[in-house]
Amino acid sequence: MASISLVVVKRVKPLPSWVAPLLSFTLGIAVATVLLWIVTLGRTDPIVVLASIGRALAMPQLLLKNFALLTIVGIGLLVSFKASVFNIGGEGQFYFAIIAATWIALFSGVGAIAIINKVLMLVVGVLLAGFWALIAALPRGFLGIDEVPVTLLMNYIAYYIVDYLVFNPWREPKYKYPRTPTIPEESWFIRIPGTTGTIELILLTVVVMAGIWYLMNNTRLGLAINVMGSNPNVLRVVGINPSLIVVSSLVISGMIVGIAGVSYLAGEAHLITIPAEACTPMLGYTGILVAWLSMLRIAYVPVAAYIVSALINAGINIQIAGAGKASVVDVFIGTILLIYSISVIFTEYSVKIIVKR
Amino acid sequence: MLVEHIVVKEVTKRFPGTLALDKVSFTVYRGEIHALLGENGAGKSTLVKILYGIYTPDEGEVYINGKKLVITSPRDAVAHGIVLVSQTPTLINDLTIVENIILSLRHYNLFTRTRRVYSEVYSVLESLGLGIDPNTEVYKLTYTQKQMIEIARALLLKAKVLLLDEATSYLPLTEKKKLFDFLKKYVKKGNSVILITHKLPEALEISDRITVLRKGKVVGTVEKKKADITVIRRMMFGDTEFAPEAIKQRESIGNGVTLFIENLWVKGELGEYMVRNVTLSVRKGEILGIAGITGSGQIELFEAIMGLRKVERGIIKIDGVDTTNKDTGFIRSLGVGYIPDNPLEHGLSIDHTLAENIALCPKYSSFIIDWHAIRQDADRLVREYGIVTPSINTPIKLLSGGNLMKMLISRELEYATKLLVAYNPTRGLDEYTANKVRRNIKEKKAKEGLSVIFASEDLDEIFELSDTIAVMNSGRIVGVFDKYRATRDRVEELMVM
Repeated sequence: MASISLVVVKRVKPLPSWVAPLLSFTLGIAVATVLLWIVTLGRTDPIVVLASIGRALAMPQLLLKNFALLTIVGIGLLVSFKASVFNIGGEGQFYFAIIAATWIALFSGVGAIAIINKVLMLVVGVLLAGFWALIAALPRGFLGIDEVPVTLLMNYIAYYIVDYLVFNPWREPKYKYPRTPTIPEESWFIRIPGTTGTIELILLTVVVMAGIWYLMNNTRLGLAINVMGSNPNVLRVVGINPSLIVVSSLVISGMIVGIAGVSYLAGEAHLITIPAEACTPMLGYTGILVAWLSMLRIAYVPVAAYIVSALINAGINIQIAGAGKASVVDVFIGTILLIYSISVIFTEYSVKIIVKR
Repeated sequence: MLVEHIVVKEVTKRFPGTLALDKVSFTVYRGEIHALLGENGAGKSTLVKILYGIYTPDEGEVYINGKKLVITSPRDAVAHGIVLVSQTPTLINDLTIVENIILSLRHYNLFTRTRRVYSEVYSVLESLGLGIDPNTEVYKLTYTQKQMIEIARALLLKAKVLLLDEATSYLPLTEKKKLFDFLKKYVKKGNSVILITHKLPEALEISDRITVLRKGKVVGTVEKKKADITVIRRMMFGDTEFAPEAIKQRESIGNGVTLFIENLWVKGELGEYMVRNVTLSVRKGEILGIAGITGSGQIELFEAIMGLRKVERGIIKIDGVDTTNKDTGFIRSLGVGYIPDNPLEHGLSIDHTLAENIALCPKYSSFIIDWHAIRQDADRLVREYGIVTPSINTPIKLLSGGNLMKMLISRELEYATKLLVAYNPTRGLDEYTANKVRRNIKEKKAKEGLSVIFASEDLDEIFELSDTIAVMNSGRIVGVFDKYRATRDRVEELMVM
């Protein structure tokens, strides 16, 4: 009697690390295009879809904003992922920074004062985002409560807090639209002409990248975060409390995401529209994709952010071309992440089919 | 009339760098309980793992019921009625006993009704003297019960030859007695048992014959009637003479007490007390060696000293400072170096480089790492301890085991200014490096008054390195000797008592 069995074998030498991201981008786009073509019964023309993606990739000035924001969020999430702490709460941290920055801009009385208003928005925004991450970090660090569901569900709590604030005390008084008043122009980031980006955002992106690079490579905290991800026992033995490292990594992660939140408010939105859960730019989630595709290397985060922000713009192009809604890119992003998660396993393992007689 | 059940002929097994089994031959007769004894690393476990198909021999043959067999997997072994039970239960906690057993038994399939299995399991548990409902979830069971379930599983697999690899080591006395009674009945039905144990009296009590291994070779097989504890101990440990120490170590011992432990009780991984009422002290510049077989509580004692394991009762003081249940970072900051039991798991992060592993220790770097200074430290350690590595920036998982150990020892020995806590400090080192490490420890003690507490399974090392020898057995300190008054016989006797 013949029997067929699948055997999973560990590769002697893992495949080069760029194989999985490259494969998932190309295959992901291909699979998603075909998928769209099938489910829309041929109404989305694959050529139009691919052309839209190509055009988006070739227009960096139009994706500057998303590129920079995603780089910041990606770097922020990377800090926690490095410690094997999975911060899925980027959205909540993003919105908590926005709450803080909005308060500074609209209600603190300093909103119209140039120079200090932006600094205060950033500082308070970052602190409040860090506080929101801390709520999930403490039970994870000291009680071992899984951070994935906690941070994920806290996103919705954050959305609803925003909804409450904007619907009630912060509601724009004139027409009673479900949104806040526009923040004073003095607190807006300065747009770079001809692009979607702002000067402050670009500066912040550079500072975040350099700062986190320094933290991860030249401080004992960064080293401990790295070691936490591969062997927490060692930390205990050398006398570093792993709980504190977990908490630090998640809080730093939230704070960095907070920088993106403030930049989004001051550079792009200028007011909060609700319901937040529907109006969010979803950068906290998309950032997860960016961090994963960068293989948790700081230098590759901008590369992944560029491609992902191009996909987001491609969605807009697709909508303009009448081949679908802008949200079709979610199919692309989802497919890429799925293929990446699968293919990353096969860089370390291979499958053999054995037929026994 | 003796019928040969299992015959092992001239089996040799090599692992990189070691000869685990060297032309081992032995015979198990039908209906006998055969004990395998030997020091750690003597090759007992390798031998039963070969019988169970986990390893395949490089040379030699295995015969069962007179037929030559090639066993390549545990599945093969089970098909021939050979089942191994080791000291760690492998049950799935979330499932019930019955579910666990259905999973592992081949003659049950997807369509087997649990009720049928239930009654089979129930009767086997009954015969082992266990009154547990087979529908109990495994996480509710104690370690002892889990271990008995493992044995029940082996019986349900229709084991004709039961291999017990330290399976009885942690069982309480009453359970052990019950199990031994059962085993005696079990072999009467023409089955056989191969029992690996550290405990000499246990082997003498239950087995019919005893085979002793030493350094991968069979020293001999004795019948129980003719066996005697001193003869067997001699067979296990040999009569290795230890060379008298040339340096007069004693002079360096001061009056101050560096480590003081009183009435210490510490629980092990399984929730049982592994350290029982231990009182010890180590003076300044003194080396205290703890002799004892593996699992006597040395690891738990050391982890408690380092603040890595909770002290249930008792006091630990380091240099007069109460460190009982204090944070490891604080204890380390007093100048305490530590070589843990499992260096790769606990001592070093193998994904990181040698320089990074050094920078991780608080003493070598402040919050901001001065990589220049770390590199100098790393280069010096590499030079002084002869660590073979392509560079200090190579991930250390590419280093050999011996070099990893050297790296750990060098880091910790440099780190320790007051006290070094070391478990098997020269494990995995070749003779030359091992001697060098011992010399380094002694030098540091003589020159800087470093105190050392270490445990080793190697009695030669204990006698060579220690000023004072304490013997630990089943969590208790059963004897403390001045090195020059201790005799090997007495220490060995206490170790296996």
